[in-house]
Amino acid sequence: MSGSARSLAKGSAPPGPVPEGLIRVYSMRFCPYAQRTLLVLTAKGIRHEIININLKSKPEWFFKKNPFGLVPVLENSQGQLIYESAITCEYLDDVYPGKKLLPDDPYEKARQKMVFELFSKVPSLVTSLLRKQNEEDCSGQKEELRKEISKLEEVLTNKKTTFFGGNSLSMIDYLIWPWFERMEILELNDCVDHTPKLQLWMAAMRKDPAVSALLMEPKALRGFLNLYLQNSPE
Amino acid sequence: MEDATRSFGKGSLPPGPVPDGLIRVYSMRFCPYAHRTRLVLRAKGIRHEVVNINLRNKPEWYYTKHPFGQIPVLENSKCQLIYESVIACEYLDDAYPGRKLYPYDPYERARQKMLLELFYKVPHLTKECLVALRCGRECADLKLALRQEFCNLEEILGYQNTIFFGGDCISMIDYLFWPWFERLDVYGIADCLNHTPALRLWTAAMKQDPTVCALLIDKNIFLGFLNLYFQNNPDAFDYGLAC
Repeated sequence: MSGSARSLAKGSAPPGPVPEGLIRVYSMRFCPYAQRTLLVLTAKGIRHEIININLKSKPEWFFKKNPFGLVPVLENSQGQLIYESAITCEYLDDVYPGKKLLPDDPYEKARQKMVFELFSKVPSLVTSLLRKQNEEDCSGQKEELRKEISKLEEVLTNKKTTFFGGNSLSMIDYLIWPWFERMEILELNDCVDHTPKLQLWMAAMRKDPAVSALLMEPKALRGFLNLYLQNSPE
Repeated sequence: MEDATRSFGKGSLPPGPVPDGLIRVYSMRFCPYAHRTRLVLRAKGIRHEVVNINLRNKPEWYYTKHPFGQIPVLENSKCQLIYESVIACEYLDDAYPGRKLYPYDPYERARQKMLLELFYKVPHLTKECLVALRCGRECADLKLALRQEFCNLEEILGYQNTIFFGGDCISMIDYLFWPWFERLDVYGIADCLNHTPALRLWTAAMKQDPTVCALLIDKNIFLGFLNLYFQNNPDAFDYGLAC
């Protein structure tokens, strides 16, 4: 179950089939998209194994798992493959029993998906700010990010609840969390300084067992980003 | 056709609340995204009313239905609003009984959603081709890119060895793709299917589907709309209506 296993790279042998009773996720320790899937696996208590992929030096066999060569990918013991992080999360919620993360009510489910759309510009903005960490001029992008984040603040204000799906944590919260975790670590906190409800939400999220179990070590993330931005496959 | 009604423009009065037992879709007769939602409404036999919006001259009240004034939007009798065409289609499939358009099996459902990802460049490319042709510009590169996307879809059909994208019966994913394929001819780019026989078979099979048939847009009316639309005429949206 270790998420800290060394990643598999070009030239590595493909892993064998997934044992019964287990589901496998192809992941990468610092990938926010894969973190979504790990959050759902953890929150639902699903027995799983993690295979980390070296995204700068991908094994050839990985393209048979996902033609796009991206993580996360789920593989079950029937050899079925599911990719695209949001699709993997919904699949897990459908297949596995226990706590349902998506609401049963069709309108509430649609509402979560509409909020997800509202969030859609945030990942690329955070990524481009990450890349510009050492450069001066990111004020334009920070403004854009603040704008997108205000839309989310508005949702919480209108709903008058702690979380995006109501008073308990649900799927939409897990889907957007990884980027907020990174904003804190990477000192983009000033992007949430006009959004008090979001700050409360972030604090509440940190108390969630699944979120806290998967919190990244800030030094590890920063170290990774330094190497990643220098194009080192390590 | 249920949607053969005059569009609402600036200065129009908002329609009242949606009566019980009915669902309303804010639409436009020629919009491919709204077409998806109308296909699902029809396929599931859902009682609905259509309110067409003049997209070049949007009513002020429409921004209370959608923050950016886009279509389609569903509104039910509880005043709940659902937008984004794919979200609206899924909502209808979940909320209404009868024929399920998405498969029951979670893996098959995930598969359809993965297929939708494969399709994402098609709407933009078809629109760009249309605009280029209408503005008298060359679009060989765009057509090449579109053909490539079609090849990807062709590969799926070949690999699956099924008529439709979800298997041997029509299902949600086919309806989500269809509107852009219906428009290839009227946009002047039907030759983009020249090298994809399975895709051509699929379009032929789609045209036999009662739901697709019922909503097929008359070619001449569509051309009339396009002519006015590209002249920036706000009356474009009501072209071909009886009175």
